[in-house]
Amino acid sequence: MLEVRNVSKQFKSGDHTIKPVNDVSFSLEQGTFAAILGKSGSGKSTLLSLLGALDKATSGDVMVDGVNVSTLPDGKLTAYRRNDIGFVFQQYNLVPNLTAKENVMLPMEFARVRRSERQARAAELLEQVELEADVHDRKANRLSGGQQQRVSIARALANNPKIILADEPTGNLDEQTGELIIELLRSLTRTQNTTVLVVTHDMALARKTDRRFRLAKGSLAEEFDRSRAR
Amino acid sequence: MLSVLARSVGNAFRNKVRSGAVVVILAVAIGLAMSMLVANQAVGDRISALKGSVGNNLTVNPAGARGFQGGGEPLTAADVTKAKAVAHVSSVTGTLSLRLRTETATTTAQAGTQAGTAQGGPGGGDGTTSLQSAVEPGTLGNRQNQSGAQSGQGPQGAPGSGNGGNGNGTVRTFTLPVSATGVAGTEDANGNTINVTSGKQLSNFAATSTQALVGTTLAQKNNLKVGSTFTVDSTKMTVAGIFDGGTVFDNNGIYLPLAAAQKLTGQTGQISALTVKVDSIENVDSTKTSLTNALGSTRVDVTAGSRNLDSAVSSLASVQNISLIAFIAALVTAGLIVLLIMIMVVRERRREIGVLKAIGAPNRTIGLQFVLEALVLVVIGAVVGTAVAVFSSSGIASALVSANTATAGARGGRGGFGGGGFGGFGGGAQLIGNLTTTIGPGTLLGGLGAVLLIAALGALVPAWLTAKVRPIEVLRGE
Repeated sequence: MLEVRNVSKQFKSGDHTIKPVNDVSFSLEQGTFAAILGKSGSGKSTLLSLLGALDKATSGDVMVDGVNVSTLPDGKLTAYRRNDIGFVFQQYNLVPNLTAKENVMLPMEFARVRRSERQARAAELLEQVELEADVHDRKANRLSGGQQQRVSIARALANNPKIILADEPTGNLDEQTGELIIELLRSLTRTQNTTVLVVTHDMALARKTDRRFRLAKGSLAEEFDRSRAR
Repeated sequence: MLSVLARSVGNAFRNKVRSGAVVVILAVAIGLAMSMLVANQAVGDRISALKGSVGNNLTVNPAGARGFQGGGEPLTAADVTKAKAVAHVSSVTGTLSLRLRTETATTTAQAGTQAGTAQGGPGGGDGTTSLQSAVEPGTLGNRQNQSGAQSGQGPQGAPGSGNGGNGNGTVRTFTLPVSATGVAGTEDANGNTINVTSGKQLSNFAATSTQALVGTTLAQKNNLKVGSTFTVDSTKMTVAGIFDGGTVFDNNGIYLPLAAAQKLTGQTGQISALTVKVDSIENVDSTKTSLTNALGSTRVDVTAGSRNLDSAVSSLASVQNISLIAFIAALVTAGLIVLLIMIMVVRERRREIGVLKAIGAPNRTIGLQFVLEALVLVVIGAVVGTAVAVFSSSGIASALVSANTATAGARGGRGGFGGGGFGGFGGGAQLIGNLTTTIGPGTLLGGLGAVLLIAALGALVPAWLTAKVRPIEVLRGE
């Protein structure tokens, strides 16, 4: 269960105060596939960073299963990002000189999982995102965009997170590959009961989600679309 | 930990060209640092060796006496024991100087001038020998002989001087006495090893020993070879070796075992002078004072040898300082290189650091990874640099020493010390000799430890910078 209550973020830019996220509240049941839609610069990424504890909100609370993430100290935030959150980025953000498998093993290493266990689970996760065994030991910078995004999803899943936050996961992919990635994320909500929150401006992606929110000028509103693809 | 190390090694060579260049620069800096450390140690060793070996002699004479001149009471074996007990004294050598009249000359003199009148060689003799002096008396010898004979007339010549006294100085044929030195080891009265050119050093130092060393010219004059015999006070002595003392005077002498010399001339237990070695040149003055106090200032005169070593030691000390400063400077340079390159690397990988933080890496893991990455570069640089240092340090040290002694010498000349100052320094430069450097495991470990420490310090700042990188960097566009 993810609950967001009155979250605001403001920056000072010269004399102006910018509020990319302004008094946002919503909640998602565990296992929901949700999308936040919005134009570039509407504050989508900022909101995502607040939910993933990459940045701190100016005010408001982010609750994950009853734990208020906003008030956690830095050390606990690291643990929160490691254990409860999985990130998927538009730029994939794999470590380029590590192999696909090593990239997936990284979060488990930080969680102090034994090496043999890490290797076994990484291979398993890569299989799950439908990457063949022959690319497991290929360097990340030698993989195609679609392959990299699969590796990054496998990495996000490594520590069995409650929530996966995806920032434009299909933004750099062609339509066909993008659809495969969407299907993959969607299946996670079904098979693993993982909450997946996708930030996107891709309507094709948004149509596949359970719930959709639109962020405009820092304010969030849920959209109830009759042409929902379910 | 192992994975962090593996990543660090991998990261160190992500940009092979840059890493290669960094390793080369680090190797030069570290090589220079190691060379300087080695030079520093070599010079330091040489300084302490110099301080402990040259210019640290004290000479103890009976108060009021120098060699065969003056008077007073002779030193004894008890004085040797006392001197040995004084602090900072590393060794004490007692010697007995003797003058041996030539037996044939005495006979001739007796024949010409009646018994008992020719006893006075210059200053009186301690015994007789069958050896003929290789040095002709000449003007100096005759002058001394006259004054010696006249002054010796009173006490020594009294019994038989009644009628022959007048004719003595003119009629008598005169040969110089042979100087003999009783030694208790292989060193002469100045503490230097006797330079034996054929045969062997004295080995039997018992009172009954019949061994002797004979100077080259004296041996020539008397047709002596190793194994030949001659007499001292009617006792047959065997030539154990021929020595070259370097001067005409020295080569006209013989060395006898101390105890034998004392017994032969009836001076048992007596010693003419002590040569005292002090452990370091720095303690010479204090030891001189304590030695005088220990032996009694009314009984002995203590004199210190020449100190022209000081200039050599001080120029070496400045080389030591220069090399130490250069060592530190090279180390700091290596540290700065690490610092700058790692700052560059951290800036370049901000985004990746953000990714690591976003997927839950603790700050210290990331910091450690960057420190290790820096250390990988430094270790490779250190290995290459040390190899370079092994081959170049000897040359660098010698160049440093010769360059510095040259400038010091020139400075001395300009400073108005003139020939004296320069000459003194020349002696010093000779003493410095060839500097040889060796890299001992201690030096190597110490140097490498310092390199690693400074490299780790240089890498800590970038590691701290990584802690400052916010995880949100990951969302920033390319």
